Amino acid sequence: MNAGDAWEPAARASGPQALPYGPAAPSGPADPPFPDGAARVSRPANAADTLTAHDRSARGDAARWEPLGMAVTPVLDLRGIDKSFGSVKVLHDIAFSAYPGEVTALVGDNGAGKTTLVKCIGGIHPPDAGEYRFEGRPVRLGSPRDAAALGIEVVHQDLALCENLDIVQNLFLGRERRRGIALDESGMEELARRTLSGLSVRTMGSVRQKISTLSGGQRQTVAIARAVLWDSKLVVLDEPAAALGVAQTQQVLEIVRRLADKGLAVVLISHNMNDVFAVSDRIAALYLGRMVAQVRTADVTHRQVVELITSGVSGDLGLRR
Amino acid sequence: MMKAGPSQEDIRRHNLGTLLRFVHLRGPASRATLAESLGLNRSTIMALTSDLTAAGLVREELPRGPGRRAGRPSLVVRPESTRVYVLAFEVGVDRLVVARVGLGGVILDRREGTRARDSDPSDLLGMLVAGARSLVRKAERDAVCVGAALGFPGTVRRSDDMIMFGPNLDVGDLRLGDALSRRLGLGIPVSVCNDANLGALAEHERGAGVNCDNLIYLHGDVGVGGGIIAHGRLLGGDEGFGGEIGHMIVNPGGRQCACGSKGCLEAEVGERTLLAHAGREEPSDKAGRDAVRDVVDAADRGDIVAREALHRVGTWLGLGVANLVNVFNPGLVIFGGTLRDIYLGAAAQIRSVLATGALDAPREKVRLRTAALGDDTTLVGAAEFAFAEVLSDPLQVLARLRNVDVASPSASGR
Repeated sequence: MNAGDAWEPAARASGPQALPYGPAAPSGPADPPFPDGAARVSRPANAADTLTAHDRSARGDAARWEPLGMAVTPVLDLRGIDKSFGSVKVLHDIAFSAYPGEVTALVGDNGAGKTTLVKCIGGIHPPDAGEYRFEGRPVRLGSPRDAAALGIEVVHQDLALCENLDIVQNLFLGRERRRGIALDESGMEELARRTLSGLSVRTMGSVRQKISTLSGGQRQTVAIARAVLWDSKLVVLDEPAAALGVAQTQQVLEIVRRLADKGLAVVLISHNMNDVFAVSDRIAALYLGRMVAQVRTADVTHRQVVELITSGVSGDLGLRR
Repeated sequence: MMKAGPSQEDIRRHNLGTLLRFVHLRGPASRATLAESLGLNRSTIMALTSDLTAAGLVREELPRGPGRRAGRPSLVVRPESTRVYVLAFEVGVDRLVVARVGLGGVILDRREGTRARDSDPSDLLGMLVAGARSLVRKAERDAVCVGAALGFPGTVRRSDDMIMFGPNLDVGDLRLGDALSRRLGLGIPVSVCNDANLGALAEHERGAGVNCDNLIYLHGDVGVGGGIIAHGRLLGGDEGFGGEIGHMIVNPGGRQCACGSKGCLEAEVGERTLLAHAGREEPSDKAGRDAVRDVVDAADRGDIVAREALHRVGTWLGLGVANLVNVFNPGLVIFGGTLRDIYLGAAAQIRSVLATGALDAPREKVRLRTAALGDDTTLVGAAEFAFAEVLSDPLQVLARLRNVDVASPSASGR
């Protein structure tokens, strides 16, 4: 009888203390004369003890992700990336990884090369040298379309939304769905609505509003929704909270966190240390075109990260001199 | 002597409750999904759903929208959200919320009121009753109220719902639950629970902690409350007073706490302390959450006094979290109420203290999150608590309540 397996493994293992119901509880889980495989969820008799975990396994597959385990293959793995513009060397021997289910914060001073690195990831600038691995396989990106085909979406600082179009049109711009020769408007609308509600966005009214009527935070949300609409695996957000008020920043940060909790790999560029510490699992610090450290957020302090950004070194972290 | 195995009737009741709980928490599901998820065969599912349908708890309909596949579509079982509801009360120091929450966790309607910090317990009761009555009046004619629960910022004895201590909100020896139940006259008891404990339940059932069975919820209002979920259950302790994280002493000899001790977490990170550090304690038109949000907002715009205030509060909060992480090894720590704003505004400091203060092993995988239910954690928790009875024995509870209905003049005639 595999009824319990799907629903509540604990009820079976924990024996008498997990009384399935009421005072006349069965003596043990071994001999249940359940006619049809009763769904076994233990319900405590005492109301004050109620609302337990009933259905760990049925609840979702979050346990599948081992976000911080090193055994997980990074979605994105860059090694030895170099990039020059003419004689200006911008990136030097960059190593960078982004893991599924994690937010990796990319920090660095102005001109450290964050945006160039993002453009290399997004296929806008091909790197001059180095290895670009996506889900463990070496790939070459010739254009942003190649990146999108792999499941890489970049939300740029300027969002790149069309003010005169509505939310649905923006989400599907250039990748419209068709039904026969016409556009599948209802299908797109439905998917747009589902994506926005999947991001737990309740503040947006109709999905047929024009972008010009939306606030800064709402626009940022639409831009993020556009990135996750396509079953993407890696989402890169360039300064998503810049130019937003506190309440909207908080909302965007929570959306960023939710994306990672759904299993996507998220790369977040930010200047605000509170934002970085609030949502990231790893921090990658760039200093003058070099990756000086990629550390776990849980292991470092604010001071160390600031030192890495400003001087490229902090204690035994960072550049060796 | 061996106890007898469960009777057919027990099993049926159990399965009914399980199915109802599934659609309540996870939303509408097709019979096929239910059969697969509950491990019951389709004819059993059909029998159960028809019982629940007859009782008016769920309804079945054809699936909506696109996604057509070959074959006869499996009927979708939906909770009867507008016809079966509970009353959820949230009593905060500054605000009161009453909501009518339908089966499936839908907030159908709500009333919010403000409460003056020095007002009388009887005013409190009067406001709650008035709010609840207006909600009940708006309900559909054949709707039935299946439970009620109230979240209170204080310690509450589990055995009799007696409020033992509310440092920021004194109700004297008023038995709030009994009094409310009597005044409402709906034939249902009103349970009283600690607000942060309810918040922990809510986040565990419907919020950020859905996949996590070991979590700690920290709730900031004027004070700081906590709820600890261990192995999927709320840790109440011997008498239900457990989880008072706000009164964990983090700074011996520190600031005076309303509980009489010094240096409690609540005294070091509570609203009054933050506002005092930020030089904003004196009368302002804003109170509670808005005042805290103002400080975070000011810090974000570069106000150094506000930044310093958040930094200090963040240090103590980080220390408190480090202690909790060491003692309980939670998978998740959730910040709700005003602590959500404080966490997002002082995360660098909180996590820095955690990184240096907690043991490596338990710290390594702990995730820090904000409450997914926003400002409604307590309210949602109260609703879930109120639904517990009907979910454990759907038909019996409903039959009893319908009988009360029939006996009363406002009989629904069903």
